[in-house]
Amino acid sequence: MTTVNQMRAIHGDKVYKARPNWHAGLPLIPVFVFLALLFFFPVIQLLTLSVQTKGELSGVHYMRLFESDVYIRSLLITLKVSFYTTLICVIAAYPLAYMLATASGQTRNSLILWVLMPFWTSFLVRTFAWLVLLGRNGPINKWLQGLGLLENPLEFFNMVGTMIGMVHALMPLAVMTMLSVMETIDANLPKAAATLGARGGQAFWRIYFPLSLPGLAAGGLLVFITALGFFITPTILGGGRIMMIAQLIIEQVEQLLNWGFAGAIALLLLLTALVIFYLYDRLLGMSTLSGSGSADRSAAGGGGGMIGRGGAYVGGIFINVIGWICDRFGELVEVVRPIRPDRPRKTMSRTIMWITGITMLVFLSAPSFFVIPVSFTEGGFLEWPPEGFGTRWYDLVFDSPTWRAAGIRSFSVGVISALLAMAISVPAAFVLTRHKLKGRTIYMSLLLSPLIIPRILIAVALFYSYAYVDKFLRIGLIGSSLGLVLGHAMLAVPYVVVTVMAVLKNYDYRLDQAAWSLGANKARTLWHITFPLIRAGLLAAFLFAFVTSFDELTIALFVSGGLATTLPKQMWDDALLKVSPGLAAASTLILIFVTSMIFLAEFLRRKASKS
Amino acid sequence: MRIKSAVSRRSILKGAGAGAAAVAFPTVLVPRKTRAAVQITVRDPGGPFEKAFGEGLYKPFNEKYKGQCEVVGVAGKHEPTSQVKAMVDTKTYTWDAALLSMAAHDALPGYLEPLELKGTAYDEIKAEYKTPTFSGNDVYCAVIGYRTDKVKKPPKSWTDFWNVKDFPGRRSLRKYPFDTIEEALMADGVPTNKVYPCDFDRAFKSLDKIKKDVAIWWDQGAQASQMLKTNEVDMLPCWNGRIQAVIDEGAPVAMEWNQNIAGVEGWTILKGTPRADWVRKFIAFAAEPKTQAGWVAHLTYGPTNPNAFKFIKPERAKLVGTFPEYQEKALLIDNAFWGKEKDKAIDQFNAWMLKG
Repeated sequence: MTTVNQMRAIHGDKVYKARPNWHAGLPLIPVFVFLALLFFFPVIQLLTLSVQTKGELSGVHYMRLFESDVYIRSLLITLKVSFYTTLICVIAAYPLAYMLATASGQTRNSLILWVLMPFWTSFLVRTFAWLVLLGRNGPINKWLQGLGLLENPLEFFNMVGTMIGMVHALMPLAVMTMLSVMETIDANLPKAAATLGARGGQAFWRIYFPLSLPGLAAGGLLVFITALGFFITPTILGGGRIMMIAQLIIEQVEQLLNWGFAGAIALLLLLTALVIFYLYDRLLGMSTLSGSGSADRSAAGGGGGMIGRGGAYVGGIFINVIGWICDRFGELVEVVRPIRPDRPRKTMSRTIMWITGITMLVFLSAPSFFVIPVSFTEGGFLEWPPEGFGTRWYDLVFDSPTWRAAGIRSFSVGVISALLAMAISVPAAFVLTRHKLKGRTIYMSLLLSPLIIPRILIAVALFYSYAYVDKFLRIGLIGSSLGLVLGHAMLAVPYVVVTVMAVLKNYDYRLDQAAWSLGANKARTLWHITFPLIRAGLLAAFLFAFVTSFDELTIALFVSGGLATTLPKQMWDDALLKVSPGLAAASTLILIFVTSMIFLAEFLRRKASKS
Repeated sequence: MRIKSAVSRRSILKGAGAGAAAVAFPTVLVPRKTRAAVQITVRDPGGPFEKAFGEGLYKPFNEKYKGQCEVVGVAGKHEPTSQVKAMVDTKTYTWDAALLSMAAHDALPGYLEPLELKGTAYDEIKAEYKTPTFSGNDVYCAVIGYRTDKVKKPPKSWTDFWNVKDFPGRRSLRKYPFDTIEEALMADGVPTNKVYPCDFDRAFKSLDKIKKDVAIWWDQGAQASQMLKTNEVDMLPCWNGRIQAVIDEGAPVAMEWNQNIAGVEGWTILKGTPRADWVRKFIAFAAEPKTQAGWVAHLTYGPTNPNAFKFIKPERAKLVGTFPEYQEKALLIDNAFWGKEKDKAIDQFNAWMLKG
């Protein structure tokens, strides 16, 4: 009692009050200053080239965009590919995330390792793994033919291959975002609904599903925006027929040195993405993410305004209908196979969920399980089945000081840039979720834009800014890892902001108030109450930030000028003539290393919490 | 008790975090050390070049000028025009010299330093492989690669490659106008000396004929060699070095040198680099026949100095694009033409690809 009284004496009886806007927005300053220096200022400078020709103001580049239909068509293809990728990712990831969220702690932790597998295989290795797996002579076609299901091999290198490659690469993002939100949902709520008479379908669709929507919205958004920038995977796995706009921009930057026109295409992409983001916000309720209108939030979320309310209304009806259909279906099953007290009830939906979930896990880990045996081949290519058995490729990686240095640098840059991104983005996410700031959609758009502007343009812009800073301050950002850390942290900001906002959406603010009422100050409340409760979201955000850096090639190539080698750069260099099993060996080592680190962390955590 | 243990757990984590950062930071921030009086940094394509140039070019140079100058090769982007431009614009010479394709060199007027190498081995390099700012180093050739186990009647020309009826087999082409336009024209019967200036209309009409028979359009060189190795396709045009990588693995693959399309990569100096004098010594050294023969032992690209063949084993000489017999059948890329028409070609090619 004395402690509590003392605390009271120190802090006084604090009562939470909505602060005025200018004060509430303060935590946004670090992230916006950071982005202004590393992103807005450099990139805008580069983009001004797009309204110039030979130093004079002109709209030539923008006219050219519409002179042929190439750019519009490519933009539409990019949107289509990204949209389908998002749709498939969200639909497939949901049951998997739900399965993980409802599994016991131990099972969940080991299953998550499988979900994360695509993260630890470099995009290059992943793409080439699919190139072999889906090939005319690849294992999938061979098995199907062996089973007598097929006469001629299936042709995968079209839209199908592109979808497989992209969904595989991006699904972990969707799963982890959804899972972190689902972990904040009180498992007693659907039970409470059941005691009030809701059948499984109603309880799920009207209680659980709406609560998990912020994760769905955030996951979908991250997948969509990330997909817009993909080009190597869709080009290779699409048989060359899928023309993503990022590739057209790269051609302009590198082959033609026409940075003005590249800027014009990039701006077209950015504006399109922002319009889509705005509609998404209005219609589907990005507000499920940022939390506006929590008082009158209907089942489907939905922001203010006519469109938002309309969307929410339709969404509410939709959810009710699905719930109703599920329940009628359940009743039908019960007629056929009545529930008996002597037989424990296994609901069908759970079985379906587990089947879907396990299938997805197999899909996510397939390339990794291809890469491991292939890394022990004696041959010089990725091939199935591998030729012979040997450790030749491991010797190569182990013996090379460049590989070792690249590995150490990639891990350190990844960790430091992720911590930096967290430090500046988490406060921003708190402010954006908790306060009704004016122009929040604009803040959100600005925070998301580093993901939409193609990396090659960011890399070029950063180089000029770094060079300028180096001249005056003699820091040496170019060619050093510090420059890489800053650049990678900037790229990670959108992931951290969106993920943390999603977990905060369901966060019960009254818990903080309760802590304050018991005398805890803000820092203690944050550390002992808020952070532990949103731990899953913070971990996911850190992971995304780390992987963003860990798999990043363009900025690493450009800003380092080849001096500071990272793993993706080392792999890219090595793959000039062919993708050798050396890359598979490196990927396997990374996989083993990361997995054991996660196990170790888990072990230490368990040990600490037991003592 | 519980609170106490929670605190200690956190302090462990904090300690671990700080420790990790402390360990990580030095490796991240320590700058590279220079051993010689002058260090010059040159860009090469990395990967297989790292070993070939490391053994055949950098090491002998560093031995010759021990203590005075050290050359370090670093790998840049594959076509690093934008990087060179950015470095020269900002006078940030991360690289002093770069190995560029002739096409990249032509895209950078005003960004490269005159070589002024008269009186060195530069004079021995064939005229078509050099300019005042470009000293040709190696020649790479787009040839037809095919699976000998599947293609019973190998194509002997681009006309054969286009003839899907008499030369059956699954095909792939490069998803890019360079090389592909020239191939389409030669397939349509244009002789090698008439290919430039390219008639784009004729080229696209010729491409129309084969479009439906192209199973896959390849984008990355590594993808092309991979597809030949796993027999995803039976024939495709690709650079000889990459097809050689497949043949070296013992795969049943061969290449046809007739009508090969030859491109050249060479050394250039970034305009304004303070170390230009040493870079000149380096480029002169790189042009010497013995030096070129040195890296040909590791890499099957053609030396630009004809005298290099005096130091190359006869069976090795047959694998490189500047072997006299192949050179006679070759079409040398006309970079002056592409310099003017690149924009138009890329736009038209992309529009053609998108056209159903």
